[in-house]
Amino acid sequence: MKKILALLLAFAMLFSLAACGTKTGGETTDDTTSGDSSLAGTYDIKVWVADAITDLTQKQIDDFNNTNTDGIKFNATIQAVGENDIATQLITDVEAAGDIFIFAQDQFARLIQAGALAKLGQGAAQTVKDNNIPESVAAVTLNDELYGYPVTADNGYFMYYDKSVIPEEDVDSLEKLIEDCEGAGKYFSMELQTSAWYLASFFFATGCVSEWTIDDDGMATALNDTFDSPEGLIAAKGMKKLLDSPAHVSSSNASDFASGSAVLVCGTWAYDDVKAILGDNLGATDLPSFNVDGTDYHMGSFNGFKLMGVKPQTDATKQAALHKLAQYLTGEQCQLERFAERSWGPSNTVAQQNPDVAANAGQIAINLQAPYATPQGQISGAWWNIAKVIGDEVKDATDEAGIQAALDNYRDKCNALIGVGGFVFVGAWNGWDNADMTHKLTEENGVYTITIDVEESDYMGGRIVTATNWDTDHGAAQVTTGADLIDVEAGGGDNNIVFKEAGNYTVTWTEATNVIEIVKN
Amino acid sequence: MKEKKTMKRHMGLRATNAISNSVIHVLLVIISIIWLIPFVCIVLQSFRMELTGQVGYVIPKQWGFGNYISLFKTDFTRWYINTFIIALVNAALQTVIVLCMSYTLSRFRFKMRGALMRFMMILGLFPGMLTMIILYRVLKDLGLTESNAVPGLILVYVASSGMGYYVSKGFFDTIPKSLDEAARVDGATRMQVLFKIILPLAKPIVIYTILTAFMAPWGDYVFARYISFNNPVGMNVAVGMYNWLTIDQINKNYTMFCAGGVVVAIPVTILFMCLQRYYVEGVTGGAVKG
Repeated sequence: MKKILALLLAFAMLFSLAACGTKTGGETTDDTTSGDSSLAGTYDIKVWVADAITDLTQKQIDDFNNTNTDGIKFNATIQAVGENDIATQLITDVEAAGDIFIFAQDQFARLIQAGALAKLGQGAAQTVKDNNIPESVAAVTLNDELYGYPVTADNGYFMYYDKSVIPEEDVDSLEKLIEDCEGAGKYFSMELQTSAWYLASFFFATGCVSEWTIDDDGMATALNDTFDSPEGLIAAKGMKKLLDSPAHVSSSNASDFASGSAVLVCGTWAYDDVKAILGDNLGATDLPSFNVDGTDYHMGSFNGFKLMGVKPQTDATKQAALHKLAQYLTGEQCQLERFAERSWGPSNTVAQQNPDVAANAGQIAINLQAPYATPQGQISGAWWNIAKVIGDEVKDATDEAGIQAALDNYRDKCNALIGVGGFVFVGAWNGWDNADMTHKLTEENGVYTITIDVEESDYMGGRIVTATNWDTDHGAAQVTTGADLIDVEAGGGDNNIVFKEAGNYTVTWTEATNVIEIVKN
Repeated sequence: MKEKKTMKRHMGLRATNAISNSVIHVLLVIISIIWLIPFVCIVLQSFRMELTGQVGYVIPKQWGFGNYISLFKTDFTRWYINTFIIALVNAALQTVIVLCMSYTLSRFRFKMRGALMRFMMILGLFPGMLTMIILYRVLKDLGLTESNAVPGLILVYVASSGMGYYVSKGFFDTIPKSLDEAARVDGATRMQVLFKIILPLAKPIVIYTILTAFMAPWGDYVFARYISFNNPVGMNVAVGMYNWLTIDQINKNYTMFCAGGVVVAIPVTILFMCLQRYYVEGVTGGAVKG
């Protein structure tokens, strides 16, 4: 009897739990009118924006409800989610995520990967293209399709400084700035050790690029990256000057001015806070130049955007209505309201001409930096973590070889990311660089070939290895045709193919039989 | 060498004790200063009025309660009440469950008892975070996420509490079984034995269980963040306050954040101060016989 009672009780508990599950997600829309082209109706939506603009966004949506001519009414729940956190939050639970959200540009690739951005229709895409600066349009474009709406155009950085410490004439030179800070016992704040975003400044200065090709699924497929190059080495040397200074602080916080900093590299969002601390001593201008081996390089920067995205919906009508709302919220009027309330610099071409915007010291500084800024294109989401370690590694390096090692390490990780496979003919001709893609063998049906110029030197040797790896061993011992062209003895324990004389050779390696044929051209 | 020895004898036992005591006390004072500095800083920062961001000094230049006033104008009150409800309910339910569990395992002998204990121990070895995603899905299907996160969190905290019986079972084991037997001979039921004999003797461990159960929800961030999923209605203090620290907000909210930290510490501190003498007894009590 007792056991039966226990069983009954257990069931009762189970059912009472199940009763908790009556509430269903508020996804469905009610009373959409019968007309198939009409968007009229009331929609429950969830909006994710930064804490700073939640009230403003509520007001703007109310304005939209009152002014739109399509009879659309949004019943919006506004939640505060940081722009840098959108992708993480959204991937956690797409269903419960915001229907419309503002995110920082670096989240774009991850959001595409998660399928969390709805494509814009022809009309909407044209409106965005017509009204926003081209760089901001490029930021939402992927393979000729648009996936979002630009909201701001000032997600870049420049230099704030304390006029009472830094003389006006020194602001153009990194070396003088460091000297002034050290001399006055003040600090130079630039977030070099934890942020790829700031660190890239030095590399852009010497003309390095990191351009990614991202496919429709958000995966990185190809990369043109020159951070690991002679120019990159110069950049890293310049960066090391600042990193090695006792005055350097790796931070990008406006309140650093209150704790002893005289220079801060940061963006427009810090303006109000810096103004509150420095008052009339606030100086804002473009980044300085650094000098390596007698040449000046003006520090570059990223110029990025805040973007608005619409989550793909199951209900096409709601989807269309949300796009209408996004267009309104990223239009001239809403962008200016955001500028007036929170100093968010507009991406809208008309709004940028507004006299208040043009007179803002933060906007002036970002415009001064603009000629040296690199528009933040589509970058693999993993790049930020790969590149940010350069700062620490360069700081720890004791000599030039150490700096070079940091850059090599960076390039290996980038190559691993885009899945560099295949084989490289490594040797004297490419400085024994096993990640050198210019000496990669071209493959056809398991037959790999490469044609190289061998220059006269003491040791004209090398072998075939897996790219970025030293493990595989395809060398002198595998050579059949053309064995007379090489010196097997000199190859030694490394099984290197050592050419007897300089010239142009074609090397063919058949994977299945592991046979190498060499022909002199 | 010889002289030293005589000198020591001269000083006498009392003098040596005094010296070693003062050395120990100086050491303890230094350690407690180091230990208290962060807390003092937070309290001082919470009264700073001149700047709301982080600054390089500790003592405020302008004192005031402005941060506390603005604190209660935000959603903080709601988060505080949420956390308080979770903590209270959790303390009550978890205590009942843990005590029942410990009493059963300590006093009853039934089939599979050993296997059950071993099973729970092995289950306890897996980190709770492993279950996070599946728990989120289950709670979402039950409708216990976002604005209903409070019951959801209570369910999460209470559901596994039965496995935390070790300390109190150890304590119960130290109470002689002959007491139970004497009571049983006098006609007491099992229930009466638990309430009239065991619990009065096990007061320290009851207090300890209540305290730990009450304190846990105040510091939980990971589960609470997942389950409330950005909905301020369902947040606890830790999750809600963390949102004040985003890059563009930290300089506006930092002192308010410190004020929030102080307010959060109040109930836990009061409870702890009232019950701390039992707490020490409870932690060490069960350790004698495990």
